[in-house]
Amino acid sequence: MKAVFIAYDQAHHEKVIEALDKSGCRGFTAFGNVQGRGSVKGEPHYGSHAWPSLASALITFVADSAVEPLLARIRLLDEAKPKLGLRAFVWNVERTL
Amino acid sequence: MSLYGAAVKRPIMTTLCFITVIILGLFSLAKLPIDLYPDIDTNTIMVITIYPGASASDIEQNVTKPLENTLNSVEHLKHITSQSRENTSVITLEFEYGYDIDVLTNDVRDKLDMVESSLPDDCENPIIFKFSTDMIPICLLSVSAKESMAGLYKILDDNVANPLARVDGVGSVSISGAPKREIHVYVDPARLEAYNLSVETISAIIQSENRNVPGGSFDVGSNTYALRVQGEFDDSSQLENLPVGSYNGRIVYLHDVARVDDSLEERTQETYIGGEAGAMIIIQKQSGANSVAISEKVMKMLPRLQRNLPSDVKIGVIVDTSDNIRNTIASLEETVLYALLFVMIVVFVFLGRWRATLIIIITIPVSLIASFIYLFATGNSLNIVSLSALSISIGMVVDDAIVVLENVTTHIERGADPRQAAVHGTNEVAISVIASTLTLIAVFFPLTLVTGMTGVLFRQLGWMVTIMMIISTTCALSLTPMLCSQWLRLSTHHSRLYDKLYVPIERALDRFDNAYASLLRLVISHKTVTIIICLGTFVGSIFLMRFVGTEFFPTADNGRLGVNIELPIGTRVEIAKESMARLDAQWRAEYPEIEAISYTVGPASSDNTFASLSESGSHIISMNIRLSDPGKRKRGIKEIAAQMRKDIERGYPEFRKAQVNVGGGRNQGMGGQSTVDFEIYGYDFTATDSVARDLKQILAGIEGTADITISRSDYQPEYQVDFDREKLALYGLNLQTAAYYLRNRINGSTASQFREDGEEYDIKVMYDPDARTSIEDLENIVIYTPTGKGVKLKELGKVVQRFTPPTIERKDRERLITVSAVVDGVPLSQVVANAQAEIDNMHLPSGIIIGLSGSYEDQQDSFSDLLLLGILIVILVYVVMAAQFESLTYPGIIMTSLLFAFSGVFIILWLTGHTLNVMSMIGAIMLIGIVVKNGIVLIDYITLNRERGMGIRTAVIDGGRSRLRPVVMTTLTTILGMVPMAIGTGQGAEMWRPMGTAVIGGLTFSTILTLLFVPVLYCVFAGNGVHRIRRKLRKEKQS
Repeated sequence: MKAVFIAYDQAHHEKVIEALDKSGCRGFTAFGNVQGRGSVKGEPHYGSHAWPSLASALITFVADSAVEPLLARIRLLDEAKPKLGLRAFVWNVERTL
Repeated sequence: MSLYGAAVKRPIMTTLCFITVIILGLFSLAKLPIDLYPDIDTNTIMVITIYPGASASDIEQNVTKPLENTLNSVEHLKHITSQSRENTSVITLEFEYGYDIDVLTNDVRDKLDMVESSLPDDCENPIIFKFSTDMIPICLLSVSAKESMAGLYKILDDNVANPLARVDGVGSVSISGAPKREIHVYVDPARLEAYNLSVETISAIIQSENRNVPGGSFDVGSNTYALRVQGEFDDSSQLENLPVGSYNGRIVYLHDVARVDDSLEERTQETYIGGEAGAMIIIQKQSGANSVAISEKVMKMLPRLQRNLPSDVKIGVIVDTSDNIRNTIASLEETVLYALLFVMIVVFVFLGRWRATLIIIITIPVSLIASFIYLFATGNSLNIVSLSALSISIGMVVDDAIVVLENVTTHIERGADPRQAAVHGTNEVAISVIASTLTLIAVFFPLTLVTGMTGVLFRQLGWMVTIMMIISTTCALSLTPMLCSQWLRLSTHHSRLYDKLYVPIERALDRFDNAYASLLRLVISHKTVTIIICLGTFVGSIFLMRFVGTEFFPTADNGRLGVNIELPIGTRVEIAKESMARLDAQWRAEYPEIEAISYTVGPASSDNTFASLSESGSHIISMNIRLSDPGKRKRGIKEIAAQMRKDIERGYPEFRKAQVNVGGGRNQGMGGQSTVDFEIYGYDFTATDSVARDLKQILAGIEGTADITISRSDYQPEYQVDFDREKLALYGLNLQTAAYYLRNRINGSTASQFREDGEEYDIKVMYDPDARTSIEDLENIVIYTPTGKGVKLKELGKVVQRFTPPTIERKDRERLITVSAVVDGVPLSQVVANAQAEIDNMHLPSGIIIGLSGSYEDQQDSFSDLLLLGILIVILVYVVMAAQFESLTYPGIIMTSLLFAFSGVFIILWLTGHTLNVMSMIGAIMLIGIVVKNGIVLIDYITLNRERGMGIRTAVIDGGRSRLRPVVMTTLTTILGMVPMAIGTGQGAEMWRPMGTAVIGGLTFSTILTLLFVPVLYCVFAGNGVHRIRRKLRKEKQS
């Protein structure tokens, strides 16, 4: 089982949920409005006067086999609108309840 | 959820909400009455007191003074003026505008109750009379007749006046110029004396013969019959054979001593229309009724009324005030439509996409139409003020929508889904959109708080714009994002038409941006020079102020002229008629602009409501002229009036006073020509008279004055009979009896009424006109003693010629004379300044003061009100901006654009030759809100750039370049929205032209300078800020 953390411009929100659905990933936890900026050239998303846009983030725990299709869909999203900003990070889940 | 979130999510609900608003607005629009101005409550109350037999100075001392002293303590009183003339005291109380006149009337009534007991015993109770603009007639109809002239009064009364009076909203209908029928019994004094008869006996006999007496009822057999004596005359000729006495056993008939003349009243007002005798019908409206609606009803009725009239009687229209109102409103509506078109073009040019243009343009009708709901709900009308408000707002209501749309587009271009882009894009700018609306509301809302006459006018403007601004912001935050989410798409390829049409525009705009950026680089490198040049321009323009004259209100060309002419007192009516016929013919020949001309001569009868309110007499002539539509003639109304004044001066030395009044009447507040009234306060008649004459001379020598009149009239010559009381007593007579004998012979005694067709006509017995033409005739009047002995009047007293003092006028409890002049061709302020300089050199007798009133006083009041308002608005705008930027410096920097706005106003007024008046002042006040918006947009983006980490210089240049288009776009929409107002030529355009001009000049000038000066000033202040922080850091390091 893998944990996938997706941070994205809030405009992506609906499309990200759609990608989850299509990849057969039901469960997720979304964090709503969050702030952040990209490590390389990603525009800051602060919701402030200077940087008014905001980001969203969600974390989902999926079966190992579902990771690749999900990432593929998410990559497509990012490539379609590179200016908005979208990143995903995957790591192992050691135990679940 | 936020407003825009909900709107984007529920497009149907949003659309329907706005459609409902539009439907309600259109419904209100259909129901809205049309009027020239917003409802102006009357602020004047007149108190009329009659004290029979008292002279002017008695009235002043015993009636006017005690009343004035008490009434002076009524609250909110502005001025108290009075006229004391023979028998009558008229006190006029002028209150501050904006108070409930009914409450004030009650206060006045209470005060009158208090003082009534201290008035002289014979004095009648004071009558309260509310005066309002409603008294000004709304329609003047002309009636021409040939054969029916003799019976015209009855024909008009039955067939025209009565039906018109029944029209809903019509207050009174008066007929002038159609004399009433009257039956005169002209007695021959010599014969009367020979038969031992008197006017009184004949009068008594006619009265007792012209009778129907019911005799009760009596029974005959089984029936009851009524018994009557029918003695009333069926025909006036029956009078001739009336036995009036017997002499030497022979019956004396009326025709033996008198002739019966069944004709018309002797002394009446005559009306001439287009040079021919006719009648005039004057229609006044009820207080508060809508003049356009009434006059429409009246005009609709006229053809039907015409059908009932004899074929030679023709009704025409001399003046229809609603005509002017309708034309004025129509030309303003045209202005609004042009403004709409211009704004649309600007938006399209800058955005280049029709969908985006449509989204923005939709805001205009929504906001404008919604404001009609307010007008309807508050019982207001479509008038100059409310329509100007629409015209002003068109350019401003789109601003918020433009900001929202621009940001949403940026989001879409970055790749966001239109729905998401609409919500997030709106979210980002919502606060700044609301803040910029708040600055505008900070400008317009205080307008609703102005007091005085200007307040009455601009309260509505303030409310309208405030409401439209709120609605447009609501629209920008709900309808605009919703439409963006539905209509906007990311499109990468364009049609060929787009390439052909828009690519060159786009290129030009880019070049414009770059040029501005280079200019900005240049001025930032030369800060000191730029600041000096800009401030120098401002200071220089302040000097222009000296060359821009000031006045109260611009003169409107409503195509109406009123001419009042006074001949020397006592001039016979025939002489007046002769001069007028000449003048009338001359003017009709020389002025092709005249469409209708009519005048009335002579004393008005007492049942003519309209005439009894104005002055009339055998020597007074009032003339009404209607000119063709202003657009259709070359000469303006002022020019024509000036030429007419010259004509009178040159060709008619017999006129003692002549006034040519633009707009129909003098001192009607807005629209007429300005007047300067100099008030000479002083008790002594001769001293003030001579000062008034000197002042008239002085005024006549000053350029730009016309129609100079002195309010106090001359001493009036008259004949008086001084009875010797002792002789009267010897003959057993008293003064009253003797005086009545005199009156019955000259004025006539009304013996009885002749009835025909349900109408009553007076039968008047008096001396034959030939027997009352000289003083001897008067002296030979025979007065009968109680014993029946006849005594000639000359044995009882003397007939002497005397002069009675004229009306005594007072203002604020002091005697005064007003010398007033119409200001023509030169600004009011200049005339006042020149006159004041001359007056300062005058040697005034002690106790005499010269004060100023008229338009100048109103102007001063309004200007000080507006100045105070301006200061209040500047403070409010500063507060709003300081709150938005959380800074005290930035709002200060932005506020400097105000200086250039005012410079621009002065420069354009100077260039176009307009004056600074209430309308241009309002324009200048609106500028406060409009010009700071540019500064806000600019500074906002520059600070944003700095927050994003740019250096001051780069932040300023980049910010300037990127904000240039929105600034230029919103400025252009506002300026072009005003252009139709500034160059309009329709009826009434003179009123709002100065306002449009002032806004255009101020906005253009201030935008250009703001785009250079504000960035430079920002650099200076921000640079200082950085230095300060560095110094502080250095100090901290050292310690």
